[in-house]
Amino acid sequence: MNLRRTIRGGAMGGTVLVYLCLVGLVGTFSDLSLIGTWLTAAGLLLVLPPVVAGAVMTRPRVQAGERRTMALSTAGTGAATGFASGAVLAVGMGLVQVIGIDTVRRVFVSVSPILMETLTFGLSTWGGALVIVIGAAALGGAGALLRSMPRQIRRPIVVGTVAVVALGLLQRVVPSIFDTLSIERDWLYRDITNGLQTTGALIVFLLSVGVTEGLRRLQGRSAKEAGPADALPPEEGAAPEGRRGVPWGGVVRVVVLAVALVALPQLAGPVVSESLGTVGIYVLLGLGLNIVVGYAGLLDLGYVAFVAVGAYFFALLTGSHLITAFGLEDPLASLHVDPFVAIALVAGIAALIGLVIGAPVLRLRGDYLAIVTLGFGEIARVLLTSDWLQPVFGGARGLGDITDASIGSYGFRHPQHFYYLVLALCLFAVFVSWRLQDSRIGRAWTAMREDEQVADATGVSTVRYKLLAFAMGGAIGSLGGAVYAIKLGSLSASGGTFGVLVSVTVLAVVILGGLGSIRGVIVGALVLIGLPDLLSQFEEYRLLVYGAALMVMMLQRPQGLVPNSRRTRELLEVDRSQDRWTGALAADKRVASEVSPVGEGSG
Amino acid sequence: MAASAGGRKLGWTVGFPWRRIILTLVAIGIGVFVLIGSYRTLTLPDAERIIAETWFQLMVRGLALGAVYALIALGYTLVYGILRTINFAHGEVFMAGAFGSYFFAAAFAESGFLDRHIVVSVIVLLLSSMAVSVGVAVLLERVAYRPVRRAPRVVPLITAIGASLFLQGTFSGFFGPDFKGYPKPEILGGQWELFGVTVKRTDIVVFLTMVVAVAALQYFVRRTTTGKSMRAVAYDREIASLMGIDVDRVVLTTFAIGGLLAGIAAVLYSMTFGQIGPFMGFLPGIAAFTAAVLGGIGSIGGAALGGLLLGILQSVGPYLLLSGFHVPSPFQLKDVVTFSVLVLVLLFRPAGLLGSEEVDRL
Repeated sequence: MNLRRTIRGGAMGGTVLVYLCLVGLVGTFSDLSLIGTWLTAAGLLLVLPPVVAGAVMTRPRVQAGERRTMALSTAGTGAATGFASGAVLAVGMGLVQVIGIDTVRRVFVSVSPILMETLTFGLSTWGGALVIVIGAAALGGAGALLRSMPRQIRRPIVVGTVAVVALGLLQRVVPSIFDTLSIERDWLYRDITNGLQTTGALIVFLLSVGVTEGLRRLQGRSAKEAGPADALPPEEGAAPEGRRGVPWGGVVRVVVLAVALVALPQLAGPVVSESLGTVGIYVLLGLGLNIVVGYAGLLDLGYVAFVAVGAYFFALLTGSHLITAFGLEDPLASLHVDPFVAIALVAGIAALIGLVIGAPVLRLRGDYLAIVTLGFGEIARVLLTSDWLQPVFGGARGLGDITDASIGSYGFRHPQHFYYLVLALCLFAVFVSWRLQDSRIGRAWTAMREDEQVADATGVSTVRYKLLAFAMGGAIGSLGGAVYAIKLGSLSASGGTFGVLVSVTVLAVVILGGLGSIRGVIVGALVLIGLPDLLSQFEEYRLLVYGAALMVMMLQRPQGLVPNSRRTRELLEVDRSQDRWTGALAADKRVASEVSPVGEGSG
Repeated sequence: MAASAGGRKLGWTVGFPWRRIILTLVAIGIGVFVLIGSYRTLTLPDAERIIAETWFQLMVRGLALGAVYALIALGYTLVYGILRTINFAHGEVFMAGAFGSYFFAAAFAESGFLDRHIVVSVIVLLLSSMAVSVGVAVLLERVAYRPVRRAPRVVPLITAIGASLFLQGTFSGFFGPDFKGYPKPEILGGQWELFGVTVKRTDIVVFLTMVVAVAALQYFVRRTTTGKSMRAVAYDREIASLMGIDVDRVVLTTFAIGGLLAGIAAVLYSMTFGQIGPFMGFLPGIAAFTAAVLGGIGSIGGAALGGLLLGILQSVGPYLLLSGFHVPSPFQLKDVVTFSVLVLVLLFRPAGLLGSEEVDRL
C-alpha cells in the first residue's frame, strides 16, 4: 500500500465531497429521490467520490495473474482512500459544528440546516461524521474491488447501475410513457416524485445485467462467425450498403428510429415534449455551430448573434408588436409575411450577416477570432436592448404578440406540435451537415482546419470557404432563433436570453458530443439540455456543469463522446511546433522577441 | 480541385487589393462618423450642450476605470507573452479576488474597524484579495493550462472558457448569485478639488495605485532574476529550458503575478463601484483584453496605455459621438465602443499601439 498515493487520493476525493456540499449541489439535490426513500441524488453525489477515489487509486497493475492474490490488499488501499476522503468531509462538518452554522452560512450560503441534516442522516453531527467516515471507507473499498474485477463482471455491474440511476433521473418521463402504453408501472414507479421502487430498481438492475451479459455472449459468437472486421462499429456517415446486398439491418434501424421520433411526443406527454422541443432547438443550433467550429475549425463565441437575428427578424417579418409601458404598439417596421416564408427569409438574412461578420475577421487566428466573435455577440445583445433601437426591437421590454406558424388550424406553438416543427428543421440540418461532410466543400474545410497555409497553397480559397462556413452556420442558427420566437411568442433580450451563455452552451453541446460529429451534437443536446430541463433543481448549476463539461472533455477526451474519426486524430495530435527550435520556427522566435515583456528591453 | 474552377472565374480578382480598398473605405467611414458625431455634439444648442466640467469629469472617470482595466490587462499581456494564448478565465481571477476581500471588508465595516484603522484595513483587503486571486490563477494554470500546453491551439482555449464558467458557477454556488454591497472607507468617499474641478477621491487613489503597480512590475521584469527568466521564456521557451530555466515554474510565476495584479484591481474596482457579484469579471475581463490588444499585447507599457485609453474612450466616446444624433441613453452603448475598438485595432493595427508588427497573430 502506497501511503502517499493513498493520502493524496483521499484528499482529492474529500475535497470533491466538500466542494459538492459548499457549492450547494448536495443540499439542492437532497429532495430528489432516485430509489425509494433511501437513495437521493444528493446521496449519489456523496457516494461517487469515495468510490471513484478508491477505484482510481488502485488501478490494477498490468500483470493479470497477480491481480487475484492482491484483491485483499487492493480493497484495503481503496478503503483507506475512501476513509481519508470521508475524514476530510467529517472534519469540515466538525468545523461547521464548532464555529456555528449561522456564522459559516454568512459566508457560504449553501451550508444550510438541510445540508447538515442530509450529511448527518438525522443523527448528531459527530454520529453523522462517524457514519460518513465508515461509509466512505466501505465505498472506497468497494470501488477498489470493482476496479480489480475482471471486465466481464465489472461491465454488467456498471451498466446496471447506470441504467437504474438513469431511470431514477428520468422519473418525469418514463412513467408517462408507461401510462400512455397502458403498461403496469406500480412495480417501478408508484408516484412520479419518489423515484423508483426498491424492488423495481433491483429488477431493472438484474435485467440490464442479464441483457449486457447476453449481448456479450451473442457478440462473441457472431464475431467468431463473421470474422473480426464485422465486429467493428460502422463509422459515422459510412453507408452500410455494399456489404451484403440489401442493407436490411440499416433499413430496419431507420424505420424504427423514424417511428420512435414521430411517436415520442405522443408517448411522453406535453411536459416532456416541451423539453424535447428545447433539445431540438439546441440540436439545430449545435448543428449550425458544428459547421463553423467542427467542420471549418473557426471558434465562434458569438453564435448567439445569429440566434438573435433569427428570432428578431422572424418576429418583425411576421408582424409582432413592441411591448411598451403602455401596452402593445406597432414597431417602425413590421411586415406580415407567411411564417414559413419568413423562416426561409430569416435564414437568408442570417447568411448575409454571417458574411458581413465573417469578412473582417477572416485573417484572425484562433483565439483572436474567438474573442472578436464574442464581441459581435455582445454588440448584438446590447443593440437589441438599447433605448436607441427601441422603436424597432422594443428595447429591454422586447417584442410581443409574435405570429404562430400554422398549417390550417394546426398551430405549432403547442409543445407537442412544436416538436414536429423542430424535428423537421433538425432533419433538414442533419441532412445538410451529412451531405456537406464529405463533399468538396467539406473536404476544403477539413484541409483549412488542419493547416490553413497548406490549404491555401494547394488551391483552396480559404477566404471563400471561411465565409461560406460563417454563412451556413449562421443560417442554421437563425432557424433555431426563428423557432424559438415561435415557441415563446414574445422576445426580450434583457436577462440572459441572448447572452454569451447561449453561445457557450451551444459550444458545450458540440464539444461534449464531439467536434464535427452529427450524432455527437444530438447526444450532447440530450445530455446537456434535455436532462437539466427535466430536473428543475438543476437550473442554478448550469454554468458549473457546462464549465466542468468543457474542461473535462478537453482534458480527458477532446474528441467527444461520439467522436468523428478524423477529428479525433487531429485533436489527439501533440503540437510540437511551439517547442521546436529549428529553422521553421525562426519566424516564431522573431515574434517572441518583438512582443513580450522582453520587447522593450531586448530591442 | 475546388479552387481551380473558382480561380478561373475569379481570375482578374486575384492580386487586386480588395482587402486594402475595403479597409480604407471602412477607415474613411469611421473617420467621417467620428468627425460628424463630435461636431454635432459640440454644437448642440445650449440647453442640451454638455458643459466642459462634465467632459472633464467623464475623462477622470474614464482614467480611473482605465487604470483598473490596465491592471487586469497586464495579466493578459504577461500570459500571452509567455504562452501565446489568451487566458479567457482571467476575468474570473479578478472576480475571485473581489470575493476574497469582500468578507474582510464587510466584517471591518460592521465593526467600524475599516474607518478607525484605514491603512491596516486596506492592507488586509489587498492581501486577502491578492492571495485568493493568486491561488485561483495558480490553480487555473495547473488544471486548465499545463495539461494541454502541447495540444492543438483550440484545446487550451476551450478549457479556459470552461474554467471561466466553472469559476462563475462555483462562486455563485459558494456565496450566492446576487450582487453584494462592498463597503467604501469614509475617507475615500469625498471629493478633491483638482485644477478647479471636483474629482472623486477614489478615482485618484485608483489611478495612483495603478501607476505604482506598473512601475513595480516593470522593475520586476527588467531587473530581478525571476523577471529575466520570464523574458527568456517569452523569447524562446525551448532555449530557455536548455539554459537551465525551469519553464513550468516560470509559467506558474507568470500566472501568479497576473493574479496578484488582478487582486489589486479587484479591490480598487469594488471600492469604486461599491458592488460585487460572481459575474462581475466578464465585462471588465473583455475590456481589459481589448486594452491589452489596443496597447500591443505582450508589452507592459502598452497594457497600461491601452487601459487608460480604453477607459477614456468608454466613458467619453458614447457621449461625444452619439449625443449629437440624439441617441437616447448613450452610456448603454459603452460596451459596443469596447468591442468596436477591439475589432478596429485587430483590423488596422493588429500589433497595437506600442507593439511591433506581429506575424503570429494573422
